[in-house]
Amino acid sequence: MSAEFEDVLLYAERPEWRDIVPVPQYQGVDALAPINYSPEYQDATDYFRGIIRTGETSERVLALTWDIIKMNPAHYSAWQYRYKTLVTLGEDLAAELHMMDDFAVANMKSYQVWHHRRLLLTALRSLDAARAELAFIARVLQADAKNYHTWSYRQWLLAHFNDDEAGWLWAGERSWVEDLLEKDVRNNSAWHHRFFVVWASGVRKGDEDREAVCRRELAFAKEKIALAPNNPSAWNYLRGVMEQTKTRLAELATFVQLYAVSGASAPPEVMDLDNPVPTEGAQLPSVNALEFLADIYEEEGGDKIPKAVEIWKSLANEHDPMRKKYWEYRIREALQTASA
Amino acid sequence: MPEVPPVSRTLNRRGHAKLAQLCLSGLPFSQVEVDPSRLAVVFYCLGTLDLLGVLDSQVPEAGRIHWREWIWEQQTHGKYGTGFRPSPYMAPEDYKSTHWPPWQLSDDHTEYDVPHLIMTYTALMSLAILRDDFVRLDRAGILRFVRSCQRDDGSFSALPIGGEADLRTTYCAFVICSLLDDWSGMDLDRAIAFIQRCSSYEGGYGQTPDGEALGGTTYCALASLKLAPPTPTSSWGSRVAPAERLRTVRWLSANQSSSGGFSGRTNKIADACYCFWCGASLSMLDAGEAVDTTALASFMHQCQFKFGGIAKAPGERADPYHTYLSLAALALFPPPDADESWQLPPLDPLWNATLDTARWAREHVPAQKRTS
Repeated sequence: MSAEFEDVLLYAERPEWRDIVPVPQYQGVDALAPINYSPEYQDATDYFRGIIRTGETSERVLALTWDIIKMNPAHYSAWQYRYKTLVTLGEDLAAELHMMDDFAVANMKSYQVWHHRRLLLTALRSLDAARAELAFIARVLQADAKNYHTWSYRQWLLAHFNDDEAGWLWAGERSWVEDLLEKDVRNNSAWHHRFFVVWASGVRKGDEDREAVCRRELAFAKEKIALAPNNPSAWNYLRGVMEQTKTRLAELATFVQLYAVSGASAPPEVMDLDNPVPTEGAQLPSVNALEFLADIYEEEGGDKIPKAVEIWKSLANEHDPMRKKYWEYRIREALQTASA
Repeated sequence: MPEVPPVSRTLNRRGHAKLAQLCLSGLPFSQVEVDPSRLAVVFYCLGTLDLLGVLDSQVPEAGRIHWREWIWEQQTHGKYGTGFRPSPYMAPEDYKSTHWPPWQLSDDHTEYDVPHLIMTYTALMSLAILRDDFVRLDRAGILRFVRSCQRDDGSFSALPIGGEADLRTTYCAFVICSLLDDWSGMDLDRAIAFIQRCSSYEGGYGQTPDGEALGGTTYCALASLKLAPPTPTSSWGSRVAPAERLRTVRWLSANQSSSGGFSGRTNKIADACYCFWCGASLSMLDAGEAVDTTALASFMHQCQFKFGGIAKAPGERADPYHTYLSLAALALFPPPDADESWQLPPLDPLWNATLDTARWAREHVPAQKRTS
C-alpha cells in the first residue's frame, strides 16, 4: 500500500486507531439546519469525540485535530483540544506557529486562526517571536490590506508587548504605516493603526514632546489631504488629533479654507509649510473641508451659526446631495441648540 | 445617486422566505463552518420568517413544536451554569437530553461541549419568535453562566473557558440580562468600562479596545449602553455624552455611500448587513431621520438574489445572515411610497426583534412576569 493511498484511509480503517472507540454525534429530535457531513468529516469527528472521552493527548491527536481543522477551520473544540495537547506534550510552539503560516493566509477570515496564534504568542513570551510575527502579519496584509482580524491581531500583539523592554518592537510601526499609505492613501485600517501607535498606546520613545508630535501629525495628515482632498480617512485622522490634543477646530481654518473653495486658488508666492495647497486637478470643493468649516462656525456659535447653516445647505443641495437627509438633520439640530 | 425610487419594484418576499425554510431543512457540507454557530443561522432564518409574517401560515404547528424541541435540546448544564450550545456537533450519541429538569443532573457536557454565550442569546430570541412558554428555562443557571463568562477587564468570552471576547459577546450578555430582567449576571460597571475602551477617534466602536471603528460592533456598543439600567455612576446620557453622540452620528451617516447602502468602515464599499448595524445605531441615537430610506431600499433591491434571499452586495450570493439583517433594516427604515411588498412589522432596534416578538419575550422570559 502506498503512502499516498494511506492518506485517504478513514480513521475507522486505520489499524493504529483500532484502540479508540468512535463516538457518533447525538441524534435527537429532527434537527434544524442539519449539515450533510462528508464521510471523511463524520469519521474524523467520531474519533475526536472518542478521544475527548479517553482524554488522550498525543502526537496522533495533533494529527487528528489538524485534519478536522483543515476540513472545518471554525471547529473551535478541535482548536481548543489541539492547544491543550501541544502544551501537555511540551511541543515546540514556535514550530506550531510556523506550521500554521500558510493556513492563516488561506483562512484569514477565520477567527480561530488568529485566536490560536494569540495563545501561542502569549505562551511563548518571546520578543523575538513577536517581532517575527509582526513581519508575518505584514506579509498577510499584503494579500488583503484591510482584513479586520489581522489588524486586530497586530494591535493586540503590540499592546501585549508594551513595556520599556519592548520599545524596539514598536519602533518600525509608524514608518511601516507610511509605506502602506503610500500604496493606498485611503486605507483606513492603516490610518487607524497610526492613531493607535501615536495616540492610544502610551508615549513612544522619542515622542515625549507632545506638542512636537501634534505638529508632526497635523503636518502628515495635511500633506495627505493635499494629495487627495476627498479622502475621509485623512480628515477623520485630523479631527482625531484635534480632539486628542484638545485643540479648537478654528486653529485649522486657514488650511481648511484652501479646500472649501471651488477650483484651485493661485499658488501663494511664499510657500506656507503649515498650509499645503491642493494638488493640481483635485476635485474641489472637498465635501470633508466644507463640513469641517461648518463645524468651525458651529463651534464658535452665536452669529456664526447662520454661516454653518449656509454651508450645510450647500452640501445638501449642491455638493453632497446624496447625504441631503443628514445635512438637513444637522441644520435642525444646530438651530434647536441655538434656540434652546 | 440612483434616483429611481423603489416604488415600481417589489420585495421578493416569497423568495426570501423560501431561502430561510430551505436552510432550516438542511445545509450542504460546504457550509460545515456554521456547525459551531448553527443556532445563529437558525435565528436568522426564523427572524426572516417572523419579519415576513409567514411563520403561522407556512409552517404547521407540529413543525414549530419540533423546532422548539430541537432548540431546547441545546440547553445544557454544568459547573459553569446553564446555556445553549450551537448544535449537537460535539454531543456524543448517548447524550441524555430527556432528563427533566436537566439542571438537577450533574454536568451533562464535557469541557469541549460547554454552552456558548452568543448561541444562548440566539436561542432565547429564536424561542421567543416561536412563542415558547419558557417553562423549561433555567433562569438562575443562565445568569450563573453569564457571570462565568465575564473576565477581569469587564468583557465576556464566548465560552466560560475562553474563546473570543469582544463587543459581540458583550452585546449578547447584555441582551440576556435584559431579557431576564435581572442584572445579577454581571458586573455592570466593569462591562460598561470595557465598552467605552472600544470607542475609536472616528466616532464608532472597534471590536475590541484599540480596534478600528466598525459598524457591527458600534451597534453592539450602543445597544448595550442603552439596554443597561442606570447605575449610581452612569446612565445612558452620561455613557454617550452629547459631543460623543454627534461624532458617532457623523461617522455613521458618512457610512451611507452613493450606492444607498452602508459600509462598515470608512472608505470601504457598502454591505447589506451594515444597513442594519449602522441604521439601527442611528435610530438608537435618535438620528434615524439622517438615513436616506429611498436610496437604502434601492440598494436592498439590487442585493436581492434572483432565486431568493439577499446578498451582502449586488451580484453576490444570498445567505441567511444578510437576508435577515436586510429585512430588519427595511423594517426600521421603510421606503416611502413603496408598494405593499415592502411593508414589514415594526422592529425593536435594541433586541433586534419584531415588536410582537419583543413583547412576547418581555412577558415570558423574566422570572416574574411583568404587568406591562
